[in-house]
Amino acid sequence: MSKKEATVADSPPSDPQTTTTNSSQWSTWNVTSSDWNILLVSTVIKLLLYPSYRSTDFEVHRNWLAITHSLPISKWYYDTTSEWTLDYPPFFAYFEWLLSIPAYLVDPKIVDLNNINYDSWSVIAYQRTTVIITELVLATALLRFVSGSADPSIQRVISAALFLHPGFLIVDHIHFQYNGFMFGILLWSILMARNGNRLASGILFAILLNFKHIYMYLAPAYFVYLLRAYCLTPSGRVEIKNFLSLANAVIGVFVASLGPFALMGQIPQLLSRLFPFTRGLNHAYWAPNFWALVTALDRIILRLVQLTGTTRISVDSAGVSSSSRGLVGDTVFAILPQVKPIHTFIITLLWQAIVLIKLWKNPSYKSFLTALTLSGWASFLFGWHVHEKAVLLILVPLSLLAAERHAYFRTFLIASTAGIFALFPLLFTPSESVIKVVYSTVWIAFVYGALNRRVYEYPTSPLYVVIDALEKLYLAGFPCLLAFTTGISLRNERISASSSESSGSAMEFLPLMVTSIYCAIGMLWSFLRLGFIYFLEESDYQGQLSAVG
Amino acid sequence: MFGDYEAQRHWLEITTHLPFREWYTYDLQYWGLDYPPLTAYVSWVCGLIAHSLNPAWVALDASRGIETPGSKLFMRLSVVVLDLLVYVPALVLFVKTWLGTRSHRTQEHALLVLLLQPGLLLVDHGHFQYNSVMLGFTLVALSLFTRGRDLGAAIAFVMSLGFKQMALYYAPAVGSYLLAKCLWLGWARGARLFIRLGATTVLAFTLLFAPFFLPPFAPSFAHVLHPITRIFPFGRGLFEDKVANFWCASNVVVKWTRLTIAAAGGDEEKARGWLVKLSTLLTAVGFTPSVIGLLRAGWVTMPSGSNSQKQEEQRDGEEEKTLPGFIALLPYALLTSSMSFFLFSFQVHEKTILVPLLPLTLLMAAAQPGSSLHCWGALGNNIAIFSMWPLLKRDGQGIACLATLLLWNMVVGYNPLKRTGEKKVVVKENVTKTSSLWSLPFVQLVSLAVYPAAIALVLLEMVVTPPRRYPDIIPVLNVLISTPVFVLIWLWSIKCGIEVGWALGGWSSGSHHKLPEKLPVEGSNSKGHEDGHGPSLD
Repeated sequence: MSKKEATVADSPPSDPQTTTTNSSQWSTWNVTSSDWNILLVSTVIKLLLYPSYRSTDFEVHRNWLAITHSLPISKWYYDTTSEWTLDYPPFFAYFEWLLSIPAYLVDPKIVDLNNINYDSWSVIAYQRTTVIITELVLATALLRFVSGSADPSIQRVISAALFLHPGFLIVDHIHFQYNGFMFGILLWSILMARNGNRLASGILFAILLNFKHIYMYLAPAYFVYLLRAYCLTPSGRVEIKNFLSLANAVIGVFVASLGPFALMGQIPQLLSRLFPFTRGLNHAYWAPNFWALVTALDRIILRLVQLTGTTRISVDSAGVSSSSRGLVGDTVFAILPQVKPIHTFIITLLWQAIVLIKLWKNPSYKSFLTALTLSGWASFLFGWHVHEKAVLLILVPLSLLAAERHAYFRTFLIASTAGIFALFPLLFTPSESVIKVVYSTVWIAFVYGALNRRVYEYPTSPLYVVIDALEKLYLAGFPCLLAFTTGISLRNERISASSSESSGSAMEFLPLMVTSIYCAIGMLWSFLRLGFIYFLEESDYQGQLSAVG
Repeated sequence: MFGDYEAQRHWLEITTHLPFREWYTYDLQYWGLDYPPLTAYVSWVCGLIAHSLNPAWVALDASRGIETPGSKLFMRLSVVVLDLLVYVPALVLFVKTWLGTRSHRTQEHALLVLLLQPGLLLVDHGHFQYNSVMLGFTLVALSLFTRGRDLGAAIAFVMSLGFKQMALYYAPAVGSYLLAKCLWLGWARGARLFIRLGATTVLAFTLLFAPFFLPPFAPSFAHVLHPITRIFPFGRGLFEDKVANFWCASNVVVKWTRLTIAAAGGDEEKARGWLVKLSTLLTAVGFTPSVIGLLRAGWVTMPSGSNSQKQEEQRDGEEEKTLPGFIALLPYALLTSSMSFFLFSFQVHEKTILVPLLPLTLLMAAAQPGSSLHCWGALGNNIAIFSMWPLLKRDGQGIACLATLLLWNMVVGYNPLKRTGEKKVVVKENVTKTSSLWSLPFVQLVSLAVYPAAIALVLLEMVVTPPRRYPDIIPVLNVLISTPVFVLIWLWSIKCGIEVGWALGGWSSGSHHKLPEKLPVEGSNSKGHEDGHGPSLD
């Protein structure tokens, strides 16, 4: 065999060099064959997950297909045939309506309103496929991030890491939601901001808000950024043309979304669906935020009070029963003062205000990205009834900052590990538990391997050395935490198999509580960490993104 | 109602709770143990672990049919762990041995091609079996043969046989390779190796079966008949279900069972005896070319004169580390022999196609995309999935089939129409499409016929319900599409074996290399066969 043939045989088909000619037609997108390989491998993994566990969100979305397909638009936000009523903004309803048309062709029973809990093969394959296909919005945004970035090779790693993010795999492809699609819109919006097209960025964010209102967590940063960087000149004069075009465009988006319902006089009904203020401080499983720590503190003090039998501290009996109920119901504190929605609202806004003042002073792209992350982070940590899935609102923009400097990378590492681990309780079935752990571990290892040595910096002071060691210790705690929760769940299965009576709820709640608390510590610490970096950004933490306007 | 999964799980249950003597006799009606002892021992270890984690998963009798999420995960993980313990290291060893002189990239790529082989993934991790353990031990044997460690290899092959009797499909090739090596070594050293091999093999089998005939465990020596009759059940039909082999395919025209029963005058036992004999004879005829090829190579390449003089000077015990050139024949012989068993032997299951797929995939792992070796390997793997489609679809693995096939074909860089070497010429001369179609190599013409037929059948199945007169029409058509491909692969492997052997015969100085740096298959390049450029590992 000739030498030339041998070298061809030596290079597997994934070799980017052999396919450079192929990629010329994609030059505008700069899709390399390794990009195709990532897309292929991730698609294969997602296809193999079709038969995996599905949460009730799967039925929720199926029901929305049925509502939008079989009912006139005037009844969308009134229908209560299923308990899973439509509670996303109108653009998402329109989106479901679009998806319901092919669904009807695939299997008319999918869009039958009364066909509750339909779970035939056709509906599973159809809905899972729509998640994979709509996620291409995310893929294209991430590809665009690579071309025109300050360091394409690093951005390629970050883009790949985001596309393969365990959060999306767990929440979208197993649990079932459309986050990949919507975070795709968010990333397109951020990309437009990076490329200097702030009007498009604002419009895209307005559109995103009308898909899912949870993105309001990020809205303050957008508001300040667009106002300061687009509607005002650097000297502070109003750019009247920019202001009007942005205002008109955003109003236009909201009219397109809410207009039909405003004409029908359904806005109050719509808002009551979108904002049900009847829920408790914590979600069933505590999201790893500040309130999880406060609730845990309350439980610990209560336990101490009960043990010592002191009467000097007044105990709220409702709180005692709340703590024993564990997983279900509202959180009522036994010792600490009760928290009302308004309190969480004020605390969140205060934290955001600190960040936004800084953003107002320095409305650069990097500053915007950091403020966006911190704004979502403050909402996540201090908001009312926060769901653990909202952690993606932090992790996605934070990932874009990951390779900026070592300080950013370390923050990203701690927040990603804690945030992803906090998503684990979403999947409690044994097989999916193995998948989530293995996939997330591989992902973290790859991201760490690809980025750490590029950004590594020695700690410069004794304090930093101590912090560095403590953080490593914290990260090393996650395998132990995993071993602990796995051990408890194995024990629970043994007990439930050997005895008919239900095992104590405490043992079921304990792993969740410990997970929540441990992850909350990491989330809170990395929030403070990024905040600290943000305020010293211009003096100490300049990186490649600082060059972007 | 249950299948392989419950059978394997049940074996955990009986091995954990019963003494050896009852393993092959306990309630045989309920998925009685019918695999060789190593499977039983592995089940025992798994069962003990399962028992310590959750006794309910393997409780005797009480756990029958248990499919809790935890127990299912445990069983699935046991396959993954055994894969990691046996199959993956075996693949790494193989790649290091056979492609040790090639670039790292080639080695990694070949490893990926073998690891992601869709048939094994779908059957072991989807349908649920432990084939990878049996295949892994055979792979270890092959690698050890190639490293000249024949005794270790013999033990590994006994382990393979002792895990699953399907490894017998390889036995003619392995046996004749060893015999050929004894011939090649010459009278004195050959005889010594022969005796050592015989002693090792007998000892290994004895140890493996010891608990079933030695007094403290077994009631009597005759007790060993229990496992043996369980392992070789000739009391069943010629073929079960629909399987893409000679018997099932020819049954469309010749109703073998009915015909022989009529000829035997209604005596079903007698008729079955005839069929067993006939199928054994055909199988033997099927694998004979590989046996003859190996023995002939051993005879022809026997070193003489100064060469053997030099070897005589080597110390005792060294002889088994020398390596004959005809080791290159072994993968082809394994393919010929196992495919012949699959096509012609008695009582074959559709999943058994995995046995011939292993040597086929080994051969193609480092082949250049577009070469005929690569094309046959890819065609065989893809059509194997197609031949198992009725089974896999029943398991609910439709999407998984699609996903693994997609991934694997992308990894191997398969394009049924790709032509290497000649590509540029075709472009230059601007040959019209019709003429270039006929100038395609034979294997690509076969692919062009088979793939559309297979895809059409799968699509047809989705939209058409079979007519009442022919309820089995779809599986039968599947068999009729798949069988010719397997027959062609069998013939092709014989052809390659002859070519390689012929090339070896030409090397009168054929002595030992330490490693097969260049496998002699490239000798076939010189002879113009259908595609003009030979199969090659390089």
